[in-house]
Order: sequence, then C-alpha cells, then structure tokens
Amino acid sequence: MAAVAAEDTELDLDALRKEAETLRSRLEEERRKSNDVQLRDVASKLELVPPLQMKVRRVLKGHQGKVLDMDWSTDKRRLVSSSQDGKVIVWDAFANKQERVLSMPTTWIMSCAFSPSGDIIACGGLDNKCTVFPIDKDLENPERKRRTIAMHTSFMSCCRFVKSGYQILTSSGDCTCALWDVDSSQLMQSFHGHISDVLCLDISPVHCRTFLSGSSDKTASLWDIRTGRCVHSFDGHDGDINGVRFFPTGESFVTASDDGTCRLYDLRADREVALYTKDCMIFAATCVDISKSGRLMFAGYNDYTVNVWDVLKCVRVGRIYAHDNKVTCLQRSPDGTAVCSGSWDTTLKLWA
Amino acid sequence: MQQCEADCHPDLQADCSVCALSSTAAKYRHSNNMSNSIAQAHKTVDQLRFEAQIERIRVSKAAADLQAYCEQHARDDPLLVGVPASENPFKEKKSCIVL
Repeated sequence: MAAVAAEDTELDLDALRKEAETLRSRLEEERRKSNDVQLRDVASKLELVPPLQMKVRRVLKGHQGKVLDMDWSTDKRRLVSSSQDGKVIVWDAFANKQERVLSMPTTWIMSCAFSPSGDIIACGGLDNKCTVFPIDKDLENPERKRRTIAMHTSFMSCCRFVKSGYQILTSSGDCTCALWDVDSSQLMQSFHGHISDVLCLDISPVHCRTFLSGSSDKTASLWDIRTGRCVHSFDGHDGDINGVRFFPTGESFVTASDDGTCRLYDLRADREVALYTKDCMIFAATCVDISKSGRLMFAGYNDYTVNVWDVLKCVRVGRIYAHDNKVTCLQRSPDGTAVCSGSWDTTLKLWA
Repeated sequence: MQQCEADCHPDLQADCSVCALSSTAAKYRHSNNMSNSIAQAHKTVDQLRFEAQIERIRVSKAAADLQAYCEQHARDDPLLVGVPASENPFKEKKSCIVL
C-alpha cells in the first residue's frame, strides 16, 4: 500500500510541476508581449539632468563598528543609526550632535527604525528580535524601558514602522516577513513565500496596504499587508537583492543587488523596465533610494562609492567616492534635501 | 561554505556566530522542503495561477507615466534642481565679505 501511495504522490507532484512550467511560460509570454519599448528610448528626447552639485555636508562620527542601517525621523532633522558595535545612536543631523546612545546586549544590529511620532526607536539583528525603546525627551534611562516586540527564528534583516506607528514590519533570515503590534507585541500577520533570507523591505509611500521585500532568492515580492498574500513576484536579478525602494507613485520600484546592478520594475506592467549598470561595475549594490521627483536614483556599493543614476535615461550621472569602506545603507531625507549614507568605515555622511 | 556576512576568516568559521546562524537556517529550510514538497508545489501553482490572471499594461504606458511624474515634480526636487544655501539646512550659510 505504501508503495502505491508513494507512486501516487510522485504522479501528483509531476502533474503539479508540469502545470507550474506551463504557467511560468505563459507568464513569460505575457510579460514579453507588454515589453513594446525600452524606457531609455522613451526618455531619449528628454533633457539631461543638470550637473550634480552634491557635496558632503556632515560627517557623523561616533560608532565604533560598522554602520549597518539608518532611518530618518519624520522631523527631517534627526536620524537613527545602528552598528555592529551594539550601539544605536540618535543624531541631530543639522547640529551634528549625538542626542542619545542606546546600548543593546548583542552586537550586529542589522536594522533600526524611527517611529513616525519620533518618540520610539526599533532595532534588532543577529539576536533574531526586534526591540523597541521609548526616547521621549525627558526620559532618563531608555534602556530600562526596552521591550521585545518581534521574534524570528533567524536574524532580523530589516524593521520599519507603518505610517500609523502602531505596527512594525520585519524581514528575516528565516525567509519570512511579519507584522507586529507595537503595544501588545502580538504577531498580526506573517508573509511566507520567499525561499531564502529576506534582506530588505519597503512600505508603499502611497497607502499602507502593500509593501515590498527583497531576498537572497533573487526575487522581489509585493505583499498585501492585510491578507498576507504575495500579490506580485519579480525575478531578473542574478544575485541577492539587498535593497528595495518604491518610486514616489507607489507603482514602480528599484532594487539593488549582489549582481552589481540596480533595476526598475513596474507593478502595472508586471516586469522589469530598466537596468542600471556599466561593464566595469562588478561590486555588489547594497542600498538604494530615489530623489523626490523620482528622476535621480542613489545607490551604495561595496566598492565604497555611491553612484547617482538618471532613472529615465538609464545612465549614470554622478559617482561619489563616499566612504573608506563598503556603503551599507542610504536614505534620502523626508523633504528630499539630503541623502544620508552609512558605511563599514563606522561613519555616516550627509550629502546635499 | 558561502561568504560570511561578518566577513570572518575561513579558519574561524567554526567559532563565528553569523556562520552558525546561516547554516542552521539552511538546515531548517532543507528539512522543511523535503517533507512539504506536495504542499509547496500546490502553493507554487496557486501563486502562478493568481499572477497569470493579473491585467498588465504595456511598458510604453508605464514609461510615459514615469516620465510625466518626473517632469511634473522636477521643480520640487532639491537634489535635482538645487536650492539656495539659505533654504537648505544642510548647506553652509555664507556671510557677506566686505572687500
């Protein structure tokens, strides 16, 4: 009986695999049909962007280990950074001052986030958790009031607050993302589908219903926050996707990958629409963000530079020798006036 | 063994906690895959069916919309067009020098 059951299972599995193959070919065909023109050809008649005049305006020194992540506050002035050294620092970027230094019991804090209200910091990493600290002005010892919000079964690669600030999204090396309630620490939704570590996430700037994740399975996925369903899945990259960011309309997004390229995907066309690379570029792209109008894309690389790309013309318009070691994180300020980059060289720098 | 995210020396991988974590995660995934292959195959087919019925627009339309958005908002993009030093909190304010 067992042998027959095993054979049935084999046949079922075979039938399912064949159906998957047919569906995949159909999807490829549909996506090919919609690819009637190249973005860079459509944009060829556009004027070139004005010459970049960005310089380093602030150097934030204070971490004693590699800077792994940073997040701006909605007040456009403060930002938080986390490091391999186990510290999370809240900076006043205008004044170049450290407002708070929070110590975590573990090293390798791979991600940190500022709540929209500006009075809570979330962080975590190799400890597999997401921890929150209140940081209101008058609080003497924020470390005493820290709480664990999220638990994964592998490292937490990224954490971000949703717009309301009541929930946090996390991504993890356990191949899942999860949504947690900040007050109760309850798991509200989990997102399964990736087959390898999820390395980054970005929440839609337009509404709170969807978010993107990038994974070392070389795909980026769009998720419905409420149902937990994967709405779209995009491949194309030849390496881990380290960074993902929505275009301001929420209808496209850019990715940064270990394969040295950045790509632009469109959700309505359901495919990759642009590739940002040069022959000489072999170093991994680790982080990416877009300027306020969507025209410029900033990407940080393992060759210590930040490259600036014209999103529409698909050409590089600037190369910043930003740091003395790998660039690990990069984020444009909320009002679009500056870009902050963080690096293994232990510093953060502001460019404007 | 794949490159360690902590960039540890190959000789020290046995002691590196980052390496231990990724190999545990890999073993977890492998054993799960073996026992859930039918369930996984069902999920894959369901997901592909769902994605196949999505309505797509052409790249020409997507490109046109992207371009329109960029042009519409170009003036409000400080990194693209630049703002005078007096308005950008990160730029140094220069004071006048009387020669």
